[in-house]
Amino acid sequence: MPKLARSDWYDLARDTNWSFRYVSEQDVFPEELSGTGRVPSEGWLAWDEPYKITYREYVHNQVTKDTTTYSVKNAFARSTLFEKLDPGWKSVILAHYGAITMPEYLASIGEARMGRFGRAAAWRNTATFGTLDEVRHGQIQAFFPYGLIGKEPRADWALKAFHTNDWIVLAVRQLFDDMFVANDALSIALQLTFTLETGFTNLQFLGMAADAIKVGDLEFGSLISSIQTDEARHAQQGEPTIKVLADNGQKDWGQFLIDHMFWRSWRVFALLTGLSMDYYTPLEHRTMSFKEFIEDWVIKQFSDQFRDFGLEHPWYWDEFVSELTWYHHAIHLGVWNWRPTVWWNPDAGVSPEERVWLEEKYPGWNRTFGRYWDVIGDNIRGGKVEATLPETLPMVCNLCQLPIVRAAGVQAGALASAAPLRHTHEGRNYLFCSEPCKWIFTQRPERFAGHLSLVDRFLAGAITPPDLGGVLAYMGLSPAEQGQDATGYAWAYGGTANGSGARAGRR
Amino acid sequence: MTAAPHARPLRTWSVFDGVRRRPNEYEAVTGHFHYHFGREPAPFDLDPDSAINRWYLRYREGSPLRGVDWEGFRDPSQLNYRRYIALQHDREIYAEGVVDHFEALDADTDLNPAWVGILGRLYLPARYALHVLQITSLYVGQLGPSAYVTNAAFFQAADELRALQWIAYRAKSLSLTHGHDLADSTVARRFWEDDPVWQPARETLERLLLAYDWGEAFVALNLVVKPALDALFKTGLADLAQANGDGLTAQLLRDSGVDSARSQAWSTNLARHATASRPGNAAVLAAWERTWRPLAERAVDGLSTVFGDAPKAVDPADVVAAVGASSAALRASWAGEPHTA
Repeated sequence: MPKLARSDWYDLARDTNWSFRYVSEQDVFPEELSGTGRVPSEGWLAWDEPYKITYREYVHNQVTKDTTTYSVKNAFARSTLFEKLDPGWKSVILAHYGAITMPEYLASIGEARMGRFGRAAAWRNTATFGTLDEVRHGQIQAFFPYGLIGKEPRADWALKAFHTNDWIVLAVRQLFDDMFVANDALSIALQLTFTLETGFTNLQFLGMAADAIKVGDLEFGSLISSIQTDEARHAQQGEPTIKVLADNGQKDWGQFLIDHMFWRSWRVFALLTGLSMDYYTPLEHRTMSFKEFIEDWVIKQFSDQFRDFGLEHPWYWDEFVSELTWYHHAIHLGVWNWRPTVWWNPDAGVSPEERVWLEEKYPGWNRTFGRYWDVIGDNIRGGKVEATLPETLPMVCNLCQLPIVRAAGVQAGALASAAPLRHTHEGRNYLFCSEPCKWIFTQRPERFAGHLSLVDRFLAGAITPPDLGGVLAYMGLSPAEQGQDATGYAWAYGGTANGSGARAGRR
Repeated sequence: MTAAPHARPLRTWSVFDGVRRRPNEYEAVTGHFHYHFGREPAPFDLDPDSAINRWYLRYREGSPLRGVDWEGFRDPSQLNYRRYIALQHDREIYAEGVVDHFEALDADTDLNPAWVGILGRLYLPARYALHVLQITSLYVGQLGPSAYVTNAAFFQAADELRALQWIAYRAKSLSLTHGHDLADSTVARRFWEDDPVWQPARETLERLLLAYDWGEAFVALNLVVKPALDALFKTGLADLAQANGDGLTAQLLRDSGVDSARSQAWSTNLARHATASRPGNAAVLAAWERTWRPLAERAVDGLSTVFGDAPKAVDPADVVAAVGASSAALRASWAGEPHTA
């Protein structure tokens, strides 16, 4: 091995900051792409990445990780393990691939934004590795489902999803465009790497990796735990960026950006991870409830990091904590009801045993949500499946793009009114699901105002014919791709989640 | 987009509708990833008039380099992430072996101090130049109209960081034998900022950072400025190092030259692809090439003077001629003769 250690020379590879002579610094770092203008250029020289890696170390480490992960994939492909997976778990991974593969790849553009427009050479170098990481995550999370399309045609949505206007995709795409694709370098560091990756992806990747191994999905478990090791490294771009902001009297701006994105991250995790953990993962393999995960990983651990930087909890903290008991349950009801509009089979996850678990984890669940499922179950057993299917579109929030489910919040005792929140901007009316979504919009309306939600498009005549069939076509869902109940309604007939009875028969 | 029900199992992504040949792994994890290119009313799902949408509409969708099926372009090296990493893993093992070899010989001790002075003036400050090439490549990547373009540019950016880090390594190792100044960032920065031989290069590279049209950024970086600097350093300076008894610097530079050759292969392919798709693009590319060529030539002129000061010197005019010949050959490979005049 070469005789010098990394620490001997590392600083000489990140000292390439200089004063521009032939062009203006402002032109090199235009504010709309850089976002760093609140701090003078000397202030950025203190930017110091906590996790240091060299190119040599990077390629040596990564080749080992790839070899391991792709070997698992190859072994998995030759087995019949996929066919034997629980139907709810298959929904977990199909939802994940469709919603997450493309954002992971898009994050390479966000990382490259920091790699070009970050204001310190050290930051730009760190983001260069982050760029490579996210190409890896996009490609590996495309290649794994690509290997499944012969067995499961909806694995096709790993690439197809973002070419469609499916409502879940609209929500996810608008979020990630806001967070890192159509964002400036400074905001990306705070909103993608600090808020989402540090605050939330531990939950998605460590939690789900544990669940995956338990259900026997070694491929997915190996994949996402390998990804998490990269995230843990490049997520650390947020910390030095916040530190520079704070040291230069700009903490409030950092707080604003984090408050903005913490809420949005919560919304998308409630949608994707909340449903996976509390309804789709087989009961016997659940590690913790979604609420417990959030309490452990986000409320405890991430809160400590807020405090370390002298930041406060977001102003809506009480509303966030209160939503942990009801929001994702309401969204789950919505997704299940509108199941033809998603590319996976939503698992109702409300067999008698599962309801006992839900009531235990979420006291009052039966009173608030169980009674809806009682009616749905009656309809199923009464042969009236059509009564459990949607006829119209729900009202959706003009910020998060998700259905407005405030009525469930009222029933859970968390909200006083079921009415959507309203705001008028330049003559157009906007609807919101929550105070924080409205707040995010009204702080910077020029960022969001011209976007059309699914309902806006419907009302504007972009969806023809203007009925459910037209909506499904607009969303790119062929009949074979439209979601159905994951267990063929076994739950309504007392089918259990542990692989016996009707559920097992549906595999 | 509306998908037909899948009567038969899919052979490949449905988005690849109509492809005759089954895509290989590189294509399966690259093709049609930029769903946002050319989307209406704007690439990204914020207000169509929000800042980054406007930026992309102006500098990517609005580039004069247009009318091309960017999904039809292929990097001849067909690199996806895992192949890139495997390739560079092997190359770094090779480079480490080279360093091991020369360190075992304690080769730096025998270097002529006058030669070390050349390294301090020309080789070590090149970190700044490489950093500009690195981050401009990240710019080309983030504005690329298809993932085939984007990923090749991202890997190239990482290659620049690779080259930069070996120079940083050499700065430290040389300083152990030949004086602390070699590992002093302020000294390297002074050459970059104040040395007259560096100023034309610095001006060219600072201006390169403002080439925001993605097509112009690609041409300026990959077809003009980078190839000229690569020819100067990875061939010219490598040969000069060899002549002055510095085998380690020579071999590290030549090894990095392999990465540069890969860059030129995809870049010329992309230029030819753009022209084949729309003949009018030939004039667009040629106009940018004419704009940037004098800037690259001035950079080479300035830096080449140092070659005349080495203990075993090379006439700067010969260096300029060699770089010029290399640039002309590259130009001919994508533009053909009509555009090389």
